[in-house]
Amino acid sequence: MSSDSKIKTDQSTLSKVDQFFLKIESFMSFLGGVVIFLIVMISTVNILGRWLFSMPVNGYIDWIEQFMAFFAFLGIAYTQREGGHIRMDMLVSKLKGRFFYVTELFTTTIILFLTLVLIYGSSLHFLRAYNIGDTSLDIDLPTWPAKLVIPVALTFLALRLIIQIWAYIRAIKNNDPDPIAVPRVENAAQAVESDNKSYGVK
Amino acid sequence: MDIISIMAGMDKLDIGLVMTGFMLFMVIIGMRVAFAAGISGFLGLVWIFTAKLGFEKGFIVAVKMAGTIPHSKVSSLALSLIPAFILIGFLAYHTGLTKALFEAAKRWVGWLPGGMGVATVFSAAGFAAVSGASLATSAVFAKIAVPEMLKLGYDKKFAAGVVAASGTLASLIPPSAILVIYAIIVEQDVGALLMAGFLPGITSALIYAGLVIFLAMSNKNFGPPVTGYTWKERFASIPETLPVFSVIAIIIICIYGGIGTPTEAGSLGVFIIFMMAVYKGMKLGDFKKVLIETSKLTVMIFSIIWGVLIYVRFLGFAELPDAFSSWIVTIDQSPMITLLAILCVYAILGMFMDAIGMLLLTLPIAYPAVMALNGGESVAAADSAFGLSGPACAIWFGIIVVKMAELCLITPPIGLNCFVVASVRPECSVQDVYRGTTPFFIADVITIAVLIAVPSIVLWLPKMVGLL
Repeated sequence: MSSDSKIKTDQSTLSKVDQFFLKIESFMSFLGGVVIFLIVMISTVNILGRWLFSMPVNGYIDWIEQFMAFFAFLGIAYTQREGGHIRMDMLVSKLKGRFFYVTELFTTTIILFLTLVLIYGSSLHFLRAYNIGDTSLDIDLPTWPAKLVIPVALTFLALRLIIQIWAYIRAIKNNDPDPIAVPRVENAAQAVESDNKSYGVK
Repeated sequence: MDIISIMAGMDKLDIGLVMTGFMLFMVIIGMRVAFAAGISGFLGLVWIFTAKLGFEKGFIVAVKMAGTIPHSKVSSLALSLIPAFILIGFLAYHTGLTKALFEAAKRWVGWLPGGMGVATVFSAAGFAAVSGASLATSAVFAKIAVPEMLKLGYDKKFAAGVVAASGTLASLIPPSAILVIYAIIVEQDVGALLMAGFLPGITSALIYAGLVIFLAMSNKNFGPPVTGYTWKERFASIPETLPVFSVIAIIIICIYGGIGTPTEAGSLGVFIIFMMAVYKGMKLGDFKKVLIETSKLTVMIFSIIWGVLIYVRFLGFAELPDAFSSWIVTIDQSPMITLLAILCVYAILGMFMDAIGMLLLTLPIAYPAVMALNGGESVAAADSAFGLSGPACAIWFGIIVVKMAELCLITPPIGLNCFVVASVRPECSVQDVYRGTTPFFIADVITIAVLIAVPSIVLWLPKMVGLL
């Protein structure tokens, strides 16, 4: 996957750490995709089963709802690594050199703070469900696995944010025009070109 | 008095305004929208609860509250439609649909004046609808349709403009992820919104096609029609395009006939497109890539949803939406003028922001205000300002806002579709594309005016199905 990425890599420790986590992150993102495909297949079986044979999937809604947290969160660190979370880049794309890295460092640090808060808050949410043995409404699936996914995925996001903070500090120190391990800022046309590649549009 | 006690003594409405300003600042300096909303919501909760309970308790309450939102808000059945629609979009690239659609459209409507332009409009509309991706549609059709138009002697500005504009037809014709997001944020029926988008979407495509024909007839130097296809050749081009029609038809029929939920309809759509992609030789590696990209885009959308919902939870405590709604109804002018002013704000915002981010950030405040202007959530049509019942007004406003957001993809300064076309076609500058899209921009403004003046275009289909 890393070869398709817009992110520069080299032989430094930072880049090695970046690529090590990328392997885990892209696998988690892939798992998220597999869960999406599974959900779609369950829904197809459910509608066809109900429509053709009057045999819907038992506990269909429970299954889907328990699966959702997996695909909504498993890829969160990967998406951050690839710069996939949308933002308004009108201003930052105009900033040059250290001004740009300092702004990125500032926003990334705030995101890390939010992530740490949410890891703690969502762990409490998970622990409550685990301790009281909370289950879903229809077929009594335990709800704790879906709740556990969130602090776990957010922990990987926090690690990714630490790598990015490290990369921005390094870029500020070296005043590096083309830093490693963080997404480059692109203008609209370049962004679209790389998106096209990811869509498979040649 | 020190700053802490001033902060603790502030009115909750003021806290709401300060944190909203903070969020806007964060968005402007380039923080990812999901996290800008999340952090503002969280800090706002801390502030409000600290004022009530003191810092130690207030902080813990805020952490617990924010910590439950990602799981509880994300695990709702209606949202499971979003990844299904995204998966349809990414799979569509591996089905050979773009070329098949363009070829079929050329054979069927090429004989019309400006035929190649009309063919581009319809084929791009079909692909945009299924893929749900405006930018990508413009990029793909800039590659396949523009060269053919140039070969026939079409003006390059027109050729680029028609491709950039046709990409914007993505969000109204089902499947449309953005309508699903709107429906969930404003708590309206997803099926009703998907049905409501169909006619305005088709109408937009027909208006574009009519515009191309008009331009071709009023300008003698326009490219010639493409003739000479036999009926046999025309029918032979149909089978390859069937996945597009079946996906749109399945979603409409499932909801229309009450056969399945929108999620099930979307899943059937995925199933068909998946089979087609496998038949067309999609490799395992391609499929793996499709899954990773689908997961990435899904995570992006879900992150904004939970981020914004943390902010919305805070707004609720700050009572900002209520205050804004009560203020807006006291303005001494016709509610329609106020609505138009709100839409103008959307037009300006849309010039700088992505549609999903813009809708999610603004709707928590704008939507209750529009509902209040109309007379409230449960107002009857006869007592309302716009002549629409509460739910009807919600759906009508959604379609108009989404159409506005799409329109912004072809307006300067960052009409992304225009940048895409210019980047794919080095012979066209961005200015050329903007010039080419001007007639379509005017057509869209007229379409929006018509949708505002005649809400029944939007509401007829959902009413037929009994969803309204």
